[in-house]
Amino acid sequence: MNSQNPAIIGVGRTKFGEHYERDPESLIEEAGLQALDSAGITRKDLNACYLSDYFLQVTNKIGLEEGFFSELLELHVPMEKTRSFSSALLNACHAIQSGKYDLVLVGGMEKMTDRWDKIRDDLMLLEDPWSYYAGCTPEANHELLLNGYAKKYGIKGKQLEKLYTALAQISVKNHKNATKNPQAQYKNPITVEQVIKARGNHCKSLGLFDFAPVSDGASALILASPKAAKKCSDIPVYVLASSSATDYITFPSREDRTGFVATTLAMQTALKQANVDLTEIQIAELYDQSTLLEMLSLEDLGFCKRGKSWLDIHKSCEDYQGFYEIGGRKLYVNLNGGLKADGNPLGATGGAQIFEIFKQLQGKADSRQVHLDGEAPKLGCVSELEGFGTKSYIHILGRN
Amino acid sequence: MSSEPIERRVSYIGDRLRASQCTLCGKEYFRGKNYCGSCGRKSFGKMKTIDYFYDQGTLEVSTLVNQPTNRFIKMGSYIYGLVSFHDGKTRVPGRLTDLLIQDGKTDVSCFDGKNVVPRFRRRHTVGESDVIPTISLAFTVADGYYPHQKYEIHKPTKEYETPGIVGYGVYTSKFRIKEGNMERSVPFIDEDAVTAAVDAGKLALIHSGVDKTLIGKVYVGSESNPYAVNPIASKVAQVLKLGKEEKTGLQSVDAIDTEFACKAATSMFKDAASLVYYPKTNTDYAMAIGADNSQAAPRNELGGELDHFVGFGGSAFIFGMHDVIAEMEGWYSCTSDTPDFWRRDMQAYPRHGGRFTGEPAYFKHVIKSCKTLMEQLKLNLDDIDYFVPHQPNLRFPVKVAKQLGFKEEQYLPSLKVAKFGNAYSGSSPIGLAAVLDIAKPDERIVLVSYGSGAGSDAYSFMTTSQILEKKRRQKFTVNHQIDNEHLEYVDYHTYRRLKHGL
Repeated sequence: MNSQNPAIIGVGRTKFGEHYERDPESLIEEAGLQALDSAGITRKDLNACYLSDYFLQVTNKIGLEEGFFSELLELHVPMEKTRSFSSALLNACHAIQSGKYDLVLVGGMEKMTDRWDKIRDDLMLLEDPWSYYAGCTPEANHELLLNGYAKKYGIKGKQLEKLYTALAQISVKNHKNATKNPQAQYKNPITVEQVIKARGNHCKSLGLFDFAPVSDGASALILASPKAAKKCSDIPVYVLASSSATDYITFPSREDRTGFVATTLAMQTALKQANVDLTEIQIAELYDQSTLLEMLSLEDLGFCKRGKSWLDIHKSCEDYQGFYEIGGRKLYVNLNGGLKADGNPLGATGGAQIFEIFKQLQGKADSRQVHLDGEAPKLGCVSELEGFGTKSYIHILGRN
Repeated sequence: MSSEPIERRVSYIGDRLRASQCTLCGKEYFRGKNYCGSCGRKSFGKMKTIDYFYDQGTLEVSTLVNQPTNRFIKMGSYIYGLVSFHDGKTRVPGRLTDLLIQDGKTDVSCFDGKNVVPRFRRRHTVGESDVIPTISLAFTVADGYYPHQKYEIHKPTKEYETPGIVGYGVYTSKFRIKEGNMERSVPFIDEDAVTAAVDAGKLALIHSGVDKTLIGKVYVGSESNPYAVNPIASKVAQVLKLGKEEKTGLQSVDAIDTEFACKAATSMFKDAASLVYYPKTNTDYAMAIGADNSQAAPRNELGGELDHFVGFGGSAFIFGMHDVIAEMEGWYSCTSDTPDFWRRDMQAYPRHGGRFTGEPAYFKHVIKSCKTLMEQLKLNLDDIDYFVPHQPNLRFPVKVAKQLGFKEEQYLPSLKVAKFGNAYSGSSPIGLAAVLDIAKPDERIVLVSYGSGAGSDAYSFMTTSQILEKKRRQKFTVNHQIDNEHLEYVDYHTYRRLKHGL
């Protein structure tokens, strides 16, 4: 481990789901307090805060989130707001690495159900306005990606059915994982038949159970300088890499429309930063906005061969042992249930992904804990997207 | 979109599919750029403005959307996908329009790989007081009802002494309602008088081969403009790039809407002809459009009788002194204060005077103007090859033709009301176009329009030898729109829904 790496020393999150009775401040308060408690510090120890949300200005007409947070904590430290949790964490990492701060709170929140009836229009406009003008929906883009993928690799007939089944198996697997996650939005197991039936019309390749839900929630973590981390925590989890890459907002204009190039680029940078090999990564939290994106992420990140991920998934899920078997290696994916079952409150989602990897690496994931060779995993990665593959963030986390 | 400046910018690009091309490497960008990403700084000032308005694209990959976003919900289910232009040099998002998809029943898997034509349509639903958003990211298949046609400029070869028609276009939609012996054109849900006007104008440009920058004025006659204030003509001028295009996003052209019930367009024919005849105006050509999504109250409401006759469509005629296909020999108009059909401000549907619309209105005016024109030009009945009356229903035009003494072979070729319904401002002009489609050189056509309120315009046109050579340039003829395997028939409920629009 590089001693210059910032470390996560505490995490917190709310349950994800429909919090009709609560306002965004109360959600971030809950997650933030949990994170402070788990790090064993108090708010007054904080040097700065990095917040994230996509939509509070739209959903709750809240613009100056920092001011609300300042009032909540009665703190006057520097605060910045970004869109995704991963981007907040990336900025916090930069600040700590520069030696500016020792203890920083990173917090994300979203209150999507406060605008439940208009949120799909908002999401689509955010993702790609010109596609919206032409009639695109958030779901249609995923289907275009899938149809384009099948066409590119010549997947037809029985093989295509198998691919569709593999996608359904991803949803089933994530729901199964979420049954052990007390904070998850959906803790109910589902079946492949249910996923396929929900696709309804035979022309639809994806359906209700292929997509992550609309959620409320908040998540937070405490990021510390290596020096402060050693003081506060027995098992600090180091951020070995924090990277991002960007792609065109207009999906039709992109060079490749069968995957996300930003994810590939961000992962390449991250592996170099962390100085680890892809094969060393044992657990991963992937951005399964749809089952398709979990599948394609495996390819974009480099775990699976292009055009072949669905075969690995299908084979692993026929007799699911809790992990994907790829090239003879085990890869545990979306142990918290993924966005599909854990929930997807945009600005908080990345925090829940980090939360899971943190707990797993510390060996404190309760009934979800995985063991490799009798011990908790050592290396995990988190992939988060903004928009439809427009921004891609990678964090590689590891413990000593 | 509730922001007018954003709406203006999106429409400016989207209505015409404006793009740019690097003259150094050929790379293309939808939504033009000032430089090319591949060529960098040396491409500054070397980007050519292009657009895909008259191009044909390919639907590369698509999917069925059966749960649209809020603003698209009234469209029902549709196909959405990626359309590529110029062999994949650029890609745009697109929705297939003119498709009624029944969930689970319609085969939607057959569209990938098809050639598609961009269509100028309403974009999506907005609030009732908002600016109406439009876009040409709607497409129809090129092997369907609306064929792909290029717009080619033909240098004029002959100058005439009398102004006349140099080209024309008729646009009616793919959908029909059939009741008894009458078929009527029904707009798709994203169509209205504005889109029909643009489509008709586009077809007239294609047919005439006239350089669009030489058009000095455009008139749009309509009684179903979706705006009380805001012209259709400005949209037509901008989308069709009429007149010289200025760098500031302006067109050097005059544009005006006119309204006089069903004669709003025909009334301007003489103005258009006079304008191009007037020396030193630099107005080589003028375009007169009549377009209507003809309104009618539902059948069980007052004024609902009209619901049996109303159609949808547009016509456009370009007048000039060069390469004329039909010279305007003369005209006569008459007017009286006869309120036989009207629509009050803020009212959705017109009302009419029942039997009062007949003898003292339609017949009185049409007969007077036709007879006076014939007297003025010293015409006998057998000097006239074709008689084109206004066609509000099946009965009136036949009765008036007989009263005037015309024979069936003189008036039947122009009667299209049984195929399209009454397209209001487009009604008699569609009849004129139907006759021009089949006319030979040196034939005389008498057009007599009627507009409630009331008035009538009578014109005499004499075809020239050039009518034949121009016929080849138009595939989307009136007959093509009548006798077409791709026509789709809808029931009454669907007809009302589509007509009501977004």
